[in-house]
Amino acid sequence: MPILFGITLLTFTLFNVAGGDPAVQFAGKNASAVQIEQIRHELGLDRPLYQQYFFYLKQIVSLDFGRSWSSRQQISTLIVDGVGASLSVSVPPFFISVALCIVLAMFSAFFRGRLFDRSIMVGCLGLMSISYLVYIMVFQYLLGYKMGLFPISGWDASWVDRWPYLILPWICIVVVSLGANVLLYRAVFMEEIFQDYVRTAKAKGLNTRIIYLKHILKNAMIPIITVVVIQMPYLYTGSLLVENFFGIPGIGGLLVQALANADFPVIKAMVFIGSVLYMVFSLLSDLLYALVDPRVQLK
Amino acid sequence: MKTMKTTIGRGSLRRSLFFCVGFITLTLVAVACTKEKSEEENTLNLVISSNVKGLDPIDVSDVYSSRVTSQIFEGLLSYHYLKRPLEIIPQLAASMPTVSADGLVHTFKLKKGVKFQDDPCFPEGKGREITSNDFVYSWRRLADPRNRSEGFWVFDGHIKGLNEWRTAVGEGKADYSTPIEGLQTPDSETLIIKLTHPYFQLHYVLAMVVTAVVPKEAVEKYDKEILNHPVGTGPFRLESWVRNNKIVLVKNPSWTGQTYPTEGEPDDRAQGLLEDAGKPLPFADKVVMTELVEDQPRWLNFLKGNFDYAGIPKDNFDQAISGGALSEELKQKGMRLHVAQYPDLTYVAFNMEDPVLGKNKTLRKALSMATNTQISIEKFYNNRAIPAHSPVPPGIDGYDKDFVNPYQKYDLVKAKELMKEAGFPEGKGLPEFTFETTNSATARQVAEYFKQEMAALGVQIRIGVNTWPEFTTKVKEKRAQIWGIAWNADYPDSQNFYQLLYGKNVSPGPNGSNYVNKEFDELYEKALRLPMGQERTAIYKKMRAIVVEEAPWIFGVHRLGYVPSFHWLKNFKPHPIINDDVKYYRVDTKEKAKLKAKL
Repeated sequence: MPILFGITLLTFTLFNVAGGDPAVQFAGKNASAVQIEQIRHELGLDRPLYQQYFFYLKQIVSLDFGRSWSSRQQISTLIVDGVGASLSVSVPPFFISVALCIVLAMFSAFFRGRLFDRSIMVGCLGLMSISYLVYIMVFQYLLGYKMGLFPISGWDASWVDRWPYLILPWICIVVVSLGANVLLYRAVFMEEIFQDYVRTAKAKGLNTRIIYLKHILKNAMIPIITVVVIQMPYLYTGSLLVENFFGIPGIGGLLVQALANADFPVIKAMVFIGSVLYMVFSLLSDLLYALVDPRVQLK
Repeated sequence: MKTMKTTIGRGSLRRSLFFCVGFITLTLVAVACTKEKSEEENTLNLVISSNVKGLDPIDVSDVYSSRVTSQIFEGLLSYHYLKRPLEIIPQLAASMPTVSADGLVHTFKLKKGVKFQDDPCFPEGKGREITSNDFVYSWRRLADPRNRSEGFWVFDGHIKGLNEWRTAVGEGKADYSTPIEGLQTPDSETLIIKLTHPYFQLHYVLAMVVTAVVPKEAVEKYDKEILNHPVGTGPFRLESWVRNNKIVLVKNPSWTGQTYPTEGEPDDRAQGLLEDAGKPLPFADKVVMTELVEDQPRWLNFLKGNFDYAGIPKDNFDQAISGGALSEELKQKGMRLHVAQYPDLTYVAFNMEDPVLGKNKTLRKALSMATNTQISIEKFYNNRAIPAHSPVPPGIDGYDKDFVNPYQKYDLVKAKELMKEAGFPEGKGLPEFTFETTNSATARQVAEYFKQEMAALGVQIRIGVNTWPEFTTKVKEKRAQIWGIAWNADYPDSQNFYQLLYGKNVSPGPNGSNYVNKEFDELYEKALRLPMGQERTAIYKKMRAIVVEEAPWIFGVHRLGYVPSFHWLKNFKPHPIINDDVKYYRVDTKEKAKLKAKL
């Protein structure tokens, strides 16, 4: 609770200190001083700051963030509509990427020093040194436009019909995440491989597959879980670039648009949800430690 | 033994690796074989380069929402689709209004038999016939301060009793049953507008979608959700809208009576724009409007024939245009090029309340002569613009193509002389100025270029990068010193541009420069009381002379639109003002099938 309270206070202060005047923004290009004042009144910006802050807290408690000042759409609708799209873009590639990175990292560690490992290392460094935007633009041009393997962009409200539009964004997300994650996970595996328990297992004649899949993987999962779970709260916001380039109606752009338009109700809602998710997933990561390693005790 | 075990283990892991790679590859190939859903044949596929906010006419303040809303809603008047100069024509009005001799009373007769689109808000879901009261209701909504409409300026101070009613509603002292002197409906087909003073732009604003008619039943049923449930009288109605993705409109079966124009500009017949003369509108059964904010997917989809026309992104200009004409590559794809003059103006504004800039017109002239508009046109507009010599763009009443602004010409030597004359030789003694700009990449590049130009004159510029709200707030609160901005015409009248310099419109009004000149203001007020004609044009000329001599702005450019379209899209002629032109477009389905097969 104190963390949440601090976040609300910080958000509210930042909005009121920095950024433009929303009343000016929403009054339009031809507005007179009187009209701007009327809008300030309609938005409640002429009330004392403490009243505005308590109104914000009331919205959080009631989970009703009202309407966007900019589009006038119901914020809950904007978020509910967008979250489905964002999650369908971000969740599958996230898990594909985690699985793929673990497999590649483990193989790389296993074949350490060999051609496969070196190729993976060089490939990952190469992948890391190219901008996200370049992947999107090149894949969209080559796979979508030139080769016609996937739609260039698009979306369908139906869960059944939308997936052809998702594959290309998924490929982009997976490829982008490979470089850094494989290298990180490989480092984790390399650390485990030289532990005493691995040497003991080998000495006892245990099958290599069992050593890797049952022992090394399990022990390597703690740092990996930390990285993975901490990334999870961001899944709900999707990816601004991917959503914009592929015409996916997620909420990746919602916060950016809200910041660009001084749309405080949307900013408040997004920051609050993001903070709660971050805390929930941090807790989840602690719980998962205990699941993976029974030595970790929850108190 | 150890070696053998390791080998066995590696073989097993290798098999797992091959299995993983194989599985992923097969999944991707299977998905790649899935084809896009095909659209029906008589469908227009249009693209919108930003997200649509809402579909309530009184809320429409951006061109993108207006593009959609204008297909669903109609107002009393509109513009002729083909004629240039632009001509106002009746839309829901049976004819052009009768206007009293003093210009204060405008009487409209409504077209008979016009119905609202069918919608559950009506009894049995059947749209009813529109009445003059519907217009009064719609305009009350526009004026109601609780609705926060940006569009109220179109009526602000012009209609008798409307501003008083607005204030009273804000104070809770009036409601929608309170009469307004200036809006009278003697019968269901007659609407009388009484003005506080002659307002010769009234007919233009009645062609804007903010003044379109909406049914009370829809507003009452949908309340704040009205922006997602548009119910108008237009040729198309909303079928579906996936926000930030796609809007699908279908032909409104109850919309009848309008036909394709039978006359236009002299060249229109040769261009094939009169082939459908007299045929009933609209031609398309369905309109799919895709919202795509990024240039690349918009352009690639267009090249694939997924959109009927599209603007050319800055980075693809060389691919599309060669030697000022459409490139061979695009011609081969079955495209043609439309070049349209936008009725707009870009300019660098000075805050005239600034103690240095505002008090020294010689200094402002020097800064103006140190800016090279031609280079800017090449660098930032791919030559898709012409230099602006006055506030009024081409196509607008009052534009003079032969007029040359002496301070628009780039002449660094003369500019330096002017600096000396202004008391700041080589910029000595001049404080550093802040050029405010927004945070887009292009805006920053423009600002950097301006800084370089000013440095050549010895003037030091600091660039202030802002979000759009910060930028507008600085201008509206008179905190900006120098900034670049653009203005698009709301209607084809010089007044729409000269109001940006009218003394009573200073910040937070549209006169962000806070320019006040008594003589200019008197001329502006005089021109307001005159209809279009020689006398008014002569006054605009005097106003132009004052503005040029006082130099509160550095004039930038008037932009040109280069729009390629496929040959299958018939009757396409970019219109500088209206957005309700989709009803005129026709898709030649046979030609489309033939051309698309080659793409």
